[in-house]
Amino acid sequence: MAVLKKDVMLSLAENTVAKALKKGTLEVEAYVYEGQATNIGIEIGQVSKTNRIIDRGLGIRVAVNKAVGFAYTNVIDDTDAVDSAIANALSAAKASKPDPDWNGLPQKKSYAKLEKTFDDKIVELESEELVDVASAMLDAASQVDKRVFPIEGGVGSAYISNAIANSNGISGFDKGTVIECSIATLAKENDTVTPVCFEFNASRSYEVDPAWVGKEAAKLAISALKTKSVETKSTTLILTQFALQDLFAYTLINAVRGDSVQRNQSPFKGKIGQRIASENLTIYDDGLFPGGLRTWAFDGEGVPHQKTAVIEKGVLRNFLYDNYSAKKEGKDSTGNAGRAGYLSTPSIDTTNFHILPGNRTGEEMLKEINDGLIVYYLQGAHSSNPVSGEFSVVATPAWKIKKGEITHCSRGVMLAGNIFEVLKNVSLVGNNERQMGQLISPWVQVENVRVIGK
Amino acid sequence: MKDLLTKINNIATQKFGAQYAEARAQKIDKTMLTLKEERVEAAKQGIESGVALRVLVNGAWGFASVGSLDVAILESAVSDACRMAKMASSRLKTPIRLAEAKVVNDSVRSKPKKNPADIQMEDKIKTAMTVNRTGLGYDKRIKSFTIDYLDLTGTNYFVNSEGSSIEQDKMYVWARIAGSALSEGVFTFSREELGSTAGYEVFDEQPPEVLGEKVAKRAIEQLSAKSLKGGKFPVVLGPNVVGVFVHEAFGHLAEADLALAGGVLADKIGRKIGSDLITFYDDGTIEGSFGSFKYDDEGVQTQKTLLIKDGVVTGLMHNRETAQKFSAEPTGNARAEDFRVEPIIRMRCTYMQPRDHSFEELVEGIKQGYYFKSFRGGQANLDGTFQVGIQEGYEIVNGEVGTPVRDASISGNTLETLNKVDGVGKDFLLDPGRCGKGQTAFICDGGPHIRVKEVVVGGSS
Repeated sequence: MAVLKKDVMLSLAENTVAKALKKGTLEVEAYVYEGQATNIGIEIGQVSKTNRIIDRGLGIRVAVNKAVGFAYTNVIDDTDAVDSAIANALSAAKASKPDPDWNGLPQKKSYAKLEKTFDDKIVELESEELVDVASAMLDAASQVDKRVFPIEGGVGSAYISNAIANSNGISGFDKGTVIECSIATLAKENDTVTPVCFEFNASRSYEVDPAWVGKEAAKLAISALKTKSVETKSTTLILTQFALQDLFAYTLINAVRGDSVQRNQSPFKGKIGQRIASENLTIYDDGLFPGGLRTWAFDGEGVPHQKTAVIEKGVLRNFLYDNYSAKKEGKDSTGNAGRAGYLSTPSIDTTNFHILPGNRTGEEMLKEINDGLIVYYLQGAHSSNPVSGEFSVVATPAWKIKKGEITHCSRGVMLAGNIFEVLKNVSLVGNNERQMGQLISPWVQVENVRVIGK
Repeated sequence: MKDLLTKINNIATQKFGAQYAEARAQKIDKTMLTLKEERVEAAKQGIESGVALRVLVNGAWGFASVGSLDVAILESAVSDACRMAKMASSRLKTPIRLAEAKVVNDSVRSKPKKNPADIQMEDKIKTAMTVNRTGLGYDKRIKSFTIDYLDLTGTNYFVNSEGSSIEQDKMYVWARIAGSALSEGVFTFSREELGSTAGYEVFDEQPPEVLGEKVAKRAIEQLSAKSLKGGKFPVVLGPNVVGVFVHEAFGHLAEADLALAGGVLADKIGRKIGSDLITFYDDGTIEGSFGSFKYDDEGVQTQKTLLIKDGVVTGLMHNRETAQKFSAEPTGNARAEDFRVEPIIRMRCTYMQPRDHSFEELVEGIKQGYYFKSFRGGQANLDGTFQVGIQEGYEIVNGEVGTPVRDASISGNTLETLNKVDGVGKDFLLDPGRCGKGQTAFICDGGPHIRVKEVVVGGSS
């Protein structure tokens, strides 16, 4: 694929800053983004669609007398379009209101050298090869059992690059690659349809195992065919990465954002240094994790990524900050300004949210549970209360563990509780770590969670 | 624009032998605001333009998206799309075909009383600030208040290789308002959305003061709410929750692509699956509604689609591809969020038809149950399991609505639940919302109050 070169991206960012400074603003930041993706899609059991998406754009943030304006355009090869985006950002700032807490854009710092975030092989992949990967995954799923229906999925390769420059002299460029293959299956027998069972591989290097993905998704779907109800009570749960990612995204992650704390939206306010979770739990936000899906040299405003201790052995250590929220407390940004490409202003987000592994294998964890459930997928995690951390969700499905063995699947099981209680009741953390979106985590075992059977 | 897009489609059909080609171009302006408490986080303005090209070659789809109207770039993109489709077609078992669609040549202009593009940024900030100030001033226990505002204006151009050519204005005004309260260690959260395709006049119908107070009042009331006991209970659901139930629990299963993917409705057409009281529509024709438009992104005119009548499944929501597979007519449900993505089957305004009960009649027979008035999130699975989170609910004891309850959710199997609806109100309300299915779609849903004999209620006490 033909991608924009580093010097083209950087000079667009730097020239935009220079132009805006001439228009009378003192503070300006320009963010240039390019994403190129090729996807091979599976629909209803066959490879039947392909797409190729090229998305480029420029986002400009300016501050005029502490009032912030932002404009973007996806037309970057046209000087007029760039000029009018600069004018739009300035007019937006002038229409806006001064913010006494605005303490400027970040200052220049040096960036770390990254490992395993870019792979030439992904950039050079021909779409023929992606079709092969998709077919291998599909075949593996279909061969597990004839009751399995691979319903959707696909293989996607992507190249992403971004350049940033600001009026404090920040000037950075970074590029990365990702490949992902995923499949969603269900199993059908007579009138029974299982919930959707999903597996995937995602990697910054060309390392995916499509046959494993297909087989695992299909095996889970088959194991969900025979169901029995479970009783309503408080019980032991193993939360797999799917469930953890979903649950944390709408609860815990809000609570550790610096802005949530400042705005009285976090129960963690004033609790730095205090024990807020089980001592089995240690979580880092690690923007430099080798090969991490969210590993980049710098964040959405050009601040270097770093490794920040969030919870250490149950003790709350730090909140996550962008430059604005950090400066408000006289601190330094933790490099957690997230950004939706060129379309948005920065807002606080995790990088790689890393739950440190323990030393028990998944099998050992199962073996030691006398009575409990293992949960893969959750339904409704986004309906959790983002402030209080209360959740009431459905496991789709859950598998019953009895005397160390998975005995059967159960549908429509509801789990209800409060995430901050869940953190205190973590009894064990496995060593079977994997990456899922922003989460890097092993299985986590939690005691005493309220389960409502059907 | 028509000539340019026709030229690109011709490359697909003439040079690469595509059976079908379509080109969608978009030019969009957006204004966005985020206000946190009394602070304008940033005032934002965006310009986007680009083209989506979709081709059907040997029965497989190829799609390309570029942020450019340059002929050379479009020629190369359409060639890429054709080559990739051809390659994927080598593994096809069942080639894709399209149901017939009427050839349309039309131009659709939006006619707002107040075009958001003509309203000054200062005025939009003032409106948003009034929402937040009202909310914060409602009670000192309100600790945070956020409004996100978006307006989008622009034009979509659609040209396909069958001779259709449509130019259609797009206009959306949307806001999300969220407030949180804190008192004695109890945190509560409340949110509302507003959305319209009519124009900025939506703020005359729902004044900023009213919006701010509504959100704040709920957050304060929730402070004294109690956690509820999980289990099976009779419930009365308000129009806001009924809308989400119709959308999530039934609507997604009635999307033909999900039905084909193994969803439980695929073989239920013409069969009775629910109580006689159940009649649902998906309607794209309601003027000004957040889910309304004239033509979908395959150039098919929108309609009012009957999904289930008196408990009998009457039809599904289709695009041209699924309509062909079901030997049905396309229903105008193919929507793409923008030029970066392909059109897929999406809902428009999905609702339940009212009947004849008063609210009192619905509540009076319930000894111990809940009244769930307003939702926070919902999700469905192809096996028919649904979940809807509740941000505002009350106990019902001996036929009377009582104490507020917090952070509940309801769940069950859609088909079982449709049979347990034993009372449907005569009132009717629609609410705007957004639906995620890989892409975001602006939608609307609603209905009357209803009573369900029994549903699983999730609670932690």
